[in-house]
Amino acid sequence: MSFAQKIIKTCYTLEGSTRYKGLKGAVYNLLQNPRAPIRPYFDIFMILLVLLSVWLLIYEVKHDLGLWGDLIEVGAVTIFIIEYLLRFWLYNDSHKVIIERYERAEFINETFRLGPALSSAILGKLRYAIQPLAIIDLLAIIPSYRPLRFLRIFLLFRLFKLFRYTRSISEFVKVLSEKRIELVTLFIFMAFITFTAATAIFFFEAEHDEGQIDGFFDSVYWALVTMSTVGYGDITPQTTEGRVISLVLIIAGLGVISFFTSIIVSAFGEKIHEIRAHRVFSEVERKQVDTLVCGFGRVGQVVADRLSEDKRSFVVVDPLEENIRLAKQRGYLAVMGNGEDNSLLMSMGIETRIKRLLCLTGDDVVNVYITLIARQMNPDIEIISRANHRENVNKLHRAGASHCVAPYEVFGLIAAEYAGQPVAFEAVYGLLTRQTSEGIEAVRIKRDSSLAGKQMGEIDFLARKLIPFGIIRDGCCDPGIDNSCFNLNERCFYFNPGEKFTLQADDLLVLIGHEYSVIHLRDCLERGEL
Amino acid sequence: MARRDNLIFGCGALGHEVAMQLSERGIQVYLYSNNFDEVGGLLAKGLQAAVIDYTDDEKLLGIGIGNWVKTIFCLFSEEPKNLFLTLSARALDPNLKIVCVAESIESSERLLAAGATKVIDPYEISGQRVHEMIARPYLVEMLENTVFGKHIDIAEIEIPDSSVLAGMSLSDLELNKKYDLIVLGVVDLELGNQLIFTNSGVDHHLDAGDILVVIGCKQEIERLKQGVSADAGEP
Repeated sequence: MSFAQKIIKTCYTLEGSTRYKGLKGAVYNLLQNPRAPIRPYFDIFMILLVLLSVWLLIYEVKHDLGLWGDLIEVGAVTIFIIEYLLRFWLYNDSHKVIIERYERAEFINETFRLGPALSSAILGKLRYAIQPLAIIDLLAIIPSYRPLRFLRIFLLFRLFKLFRYTRSISEFVKVLSEKRIELVTLFIFMAFITFTAATAIFFFEAEHDEGQIDGFFDSVYWALVTMSTVGYGDITPQTTEGRVISLVLIIAGLGVISFFTSIIVSAFGEKIHEIRAHRVFSEVERKQVDTLVCGFGRVGQVVADRLSEDKRSFVVVDPLEENIRLAKQRGYLAVMGNGEDNSLLMSMGIETRIKRLLCLTGDDVVNVYITLIARQMNPDIEIISRANHRENVNKLHRAGASHCVAPYEVFGLIAAEYAGQPVAFEAVYGLLTRQTSEGIEAVRIKRDSSLAGKQMGEIDFLARKLIPFGIIRDGCCDPGIDNSCFNLNERCFYFNPGEKFTLQADDLLVLIGHEYSVIHLRDCLERGEL
Repeated sequence: MARRDNLIFGCGALGHEVAMQLSERGIQVYLYSNNFDEVGGLLAKGLQAAVIDYTDDEKLLGIGIGNWVKTIFCLFSEEPKNLFLTLSARALDPNLKIVCVAESIESSERLLAAGATKVIDPYEISGQRVHEMIARPYLVEMLENTVFGKHIDIAEIEIPDSSVLAGMSLSDLELNKKYDLIVLGVVDLELGNQLIFTNSGVDHHLDAGDILVVIGCKQEIERLKQGVSADAGEP
C-alpha cells in the first residue's frame, strides 16, 4: 500500500467514524456554536482567564510573581494554545478536501496525486491562520516562548482576545469593518498629510539653529501630535516657515478628526437598527419566545395585550417605526422589519423555536405571503392568519394557515345577529368576548378526579351557578348516545349531555357561568371535595 | 319606494359583508353610499344599493328614517362620516337602532356619545378571537364547529299571551330534558331588557311577553317555538 493510499484510507476512516464526528461536534459547541448552552459559561471562563493573565503581566512589572504566578501563567498559556489548535482543527475538514479530490480523480479516471490534494488542504488551514482573530490568538501566545521574551508587549493582545467572547465588541468591529473603504481613504489622506508636514518641518526646522527637531522621527512625532489637536508643546516650530506649516496642519488636522468622527457616527447611525434587532434576537433566544406576531395594527395590539396579560412571551414584527415604538412603550419585544423577509424570520428561529405565527397585517397579500413562506420553512408551526376579505380565507388555508380570523366576517356575524335577535345577540356577544362576567369555560377532568365516572345527573351544577354546555372528548362520536354530538378534529363534542351521560377522565367539561364559579369548581376538584 | 326596515350606510368591504350575512339570514337590506363607484360594484353583485347624500336630512327622511326604518348600520370607513350620520339619524328618530363600526376605544366612546345604540369594534373582536385560539383552542374549535358552523343556533323566543308557559317558573320548564336545548337565560320585561342568566341563582317566574334565550339545534328550536305557541298541551 502506497503512502497516498494510506492517507486516503485514513481519511475515509475519519469520515466514517462517529466518535471523531461527535468529538468535533462537541468542540464546535464549546467554541463556536452560538446556540450551545455551554457557550456562555466557556466565554465567561475565557474572559476571566484573559483578565487574570493580563493582570499578572501588570503585576509582574514591579513585583515578583513567585511559583504560583508562574504556574497560573503556564496554565493560561496552555489553555490558549489548546484553544488555538482546536480552532485550527475546527476551521475545516482536511480529510474531506482530500476525499473530494480523490473522488474527482476517480470519476474522471485520472491517477490521484497526493501533492495537490495535500496542498489544498493545507491552504484551507492557512486561510484560517490569516484571519485577524486567529492572528491575535497567535500573537497572544507567541511571547510566552522564552527566546521570544522581547515580544512581551504582544501579551496585551490577550485583551484583544476578548473580542471572541463578547458579542457587543464583535458587533462594534463589524460596524467598523463595513466602513473599511472610508477608513482606508482617511488613513491614506492622513498619512499623506503627516508625511508632507513632517518633511516640510524637517526641511525648515532641522537646519535652523534654534530648531528643536533633530531627526525625521521628531518631525513625524510633531506632525501627528499637532494634527490630532493634542499639541503637547514639547516641540514647537521656531521659524516663520515652520509656524505657517503648523497653521496649515492644524486646519487639516481638524478636517481629519471631523472626517473620522463622522464616519464612526454615520456607521452606527446606519447600523443602530440592526444592532438593536440583534439584541432582540438574542433576547428572543434567551427567553424561549414561541409566538411571533407579524403586524402591530389594531388587531395585533389587542392580541399582544391579551398575551401579555397571560404572561406569555412573544415578539412583534412590524415595518412601521411608530408601531414598533408603541410596542416598545408597552414593554414588548419588537423588531422593525417586514414579515415577508425570509432572513428575519430565520433569525427569529421560525424553523426551530417558534411554535406559533400570527399574521395580522391589514394587507391580505402580505398575510398570504408570510403564511406561505412560514409554512414552507416549518411544516409543524401553528399559523393564525387574518383575512380582511372573505374570499381570501380559502387562499390562506391553501397557503397553509391553521386558522383564519376575518374581522369583517366576525363583524358581519355579530351585526346580523343584532338585527335579528338583539337579546340573544347580547348574550352571545358577552359570552364570546368575555365582556360580561358570564363566559364559556372549560374544565379538564383529571384521571384521579372524583368526577370521572360520575353521571351528569349526579352533579348539581345549578347550585354552583353553572350551566353545563357540553363535553369535549377525544376520539370519534359515539352514535349510541342520544345527545346531539358533533365531530371536531379528532375530538367529539357532545352538546347538552343528558343526566345519564357518564363523565370520563380527560374529558373537557364546557360550562357557562361566572368566572369565579368556574374557578371555585376547579378549586373543589383540586381538593377532591366533589 | 319600497319600505326597508334595515339600511346599511357605507358600501365598503364591511358593508358588503354585513349585507351578505343579513341576506343569508333572510333579512332584506338596502345599501347606501355617497360614492358612485362602490355602489356600482355592489349592484353588479346583485345587492340592492343606491347613492345618497347622507348629509341631507330631507334625503334621510325620504328613505324612511324617523318613520318605518328600524335599524341602520353606519359602516363608512371614515369615523367622521359615521359620527355625522349617527347624529343626524338620532335627531330624526330617538328609537332608531344605530349600529356603528369603531376603529378604537376612543372612537367607540364618541359614537356612543353621538347616540349610537351599539358600537362594534371588528379589530378588538378579531384580536380577542386570535387570543382565544391560542389560550383556549378546544373551546374555539368547538364554537366554530357548532355555534358559528351553524349546527347549533342561538334563538330568542317570546312567550305569547296564551302560552301555558306563562306562570311557570324557569326550573319547572326542564327544557334540557324535554327538548335538547339549553336555556341560557330570560329577559323579564318588568325588570328591564337585561338578560338574566339561568345560573344567576334566582328561579325566575315566567310571564307572557318574557323572552327566553335558548341554544340548540335548529329543529329543536323550531319544536320549542311550536310548543310555546300551542294553546294547550305540554310545552
